[in-house]
Amino acid sequence: MKISIGDVVLPGDYCEEISQVAEKSKVIIGPGLRKEVDRVYITKPGVLKKRNPGTFWVDSYQKRYVPSRGENVIGVVVQKAGDIFRVEIGGSITAALSYLSFEGATKKNRPEVQVGDVVYAKMLVASKDMEPELVCVDSHGKKGRLGVLSDGFVFKCSLNLIRKILNPNCPLLETLKNEWPFEVAAGMNGRIWIKANSMRETIAVGNAILGAEYLNDEEIRSMCNNIAAILAGHVS
Amino acid sequence: MEIEDENNFKLRPMKCELNYLSRSDGSAILAQGETVVLVSVNGPLDIKSTSQSIEKATLEVLFCTKGGKPSVADRFKENIIRQTCETAILGCLYPRTGISLTIQELEDFGGLLTCTVNCACLALLNSGIAMRHMVAAVCCAVSEEGNLVLEPSYTQVQSASALLYFVFDSRERNLVTGFTEGSFSENTYEEALARCRLASDVVFDFYRDIVKQYSDVI
Repeated sequence: MKISIGDVVLPGDYCEEISQVAEKSKVIIGPGLRKEVDRVYITKPGVLKKRNPGTFWVDSYQKRYVPSRGENVIGVVVQKAGDIFRVEIGGSITAALSYLSFEGATKKNRPEVQVGDVVYAKMLVASKDMEPELVCVDSHGKKGRLGVLSDGFVFKCSLNLIRKILNPNCPLLETLKNEWPFEVAAGMNGRIWIKANSMRETIAVGNAILGAEYLNDEEIRSMCNNIAAILAGHVS
Repeated sequence: MEIEDENNFKLRPMKCELNYLSRSDGSAILAQGETVVLVSVNGPLDIKSTSQSIEKATLEVLFCTKGGKPSVADRFKENIIRQTCETAILGCLYPRTGISLTIQELEDFGGLLTCTVNCACLALLNSGIAMRHMVAAVCCAVSEEGNLVLEPSYTQVQSASALLYFVFDSRERNLVTGFTEGSFSENTYEEALARCRLASDVVFDFYRDIVKQYSDVI
């Protein structure tokens, strides 16, 4: 079936608008789109989105992570194998993290990473035919916010929720950060790490994030205020 | 042979819920009439190296009957569903991985296989696995008098002289899978195929409605 931008699309549909734009200028087709001989076909159910001048993608619901390059993910170290760590990131296979890809690490000075540690890392290589590869430094050799996440609490959620809370327009973290102090790291693989001063506060952040999945901006604000009131002890 | 108005199809009412199971990557429960099936999809995930394929994802289908006892008939159903879904899934995007499809029969009042194929398609849609196209299965029975009955009820299945199952793709409405039981003439087959092809539009429209409902929320 022929569809246009903003429509709910299903696999097997095709979009002629993309081909028309492609005739004049360069286009980028993102997740959920696939170019076949004559047309651009949809491969995932969701909403077809466009960003000017020529970026197209399908916003679809997903729980299973498929690695893609440049994304920040949260993983658990499951094995130390020679000079790499194997990190479980929720994809089909574990990702490799070299011990040299930490800030200030040399062959003599190994980073202190144990099996079971939670790491926040960037996807360096993510090809369907190769093992994914992670790094904990940027191209300047600085760690930035990447590295081992100590303490805290990790939980899983759908990939859409991660994209939702990381959206700069989403009021969730903006509202929560004014209420009580906490640290949060969101991995694009559907994992969230939280660290707060007490267990009560950690659970409150976790519930606020999970509760935001099906709410709109206004509802998120009122939910955050509710949780903050309960936490402060105004409501029992 | 009785010929109905071509645009007037009465398929059994369909009801569906996506994301029915919280832990699996994708799931759907579908009721077609009184027949109910629950399908869960997990993947792409790691599988043992003997069953890995270097060029495409391996599809594993597990069919559980209501009684729970596995039988040869179930293996037959698993094969049909596996082959049908393999054409629909873009397996080449997930090489050396496995996708597992677990099907639980909840109620069988005729047309279990069509319900299963449709439910599997909905679960795959929910899981976000890349697909070439969708599939829709339609069943047609030939009654003793030689009339064609689309989506027969339990009693109609019991008394039918032949049963014809067809699965179509969503792009060109091409035949993906077709299998038959009983004896019938070539003309009957052609007629049933044409009717089922038209009726598959109803199923595809239903898919679109369901996904629309969920895309507002998700």
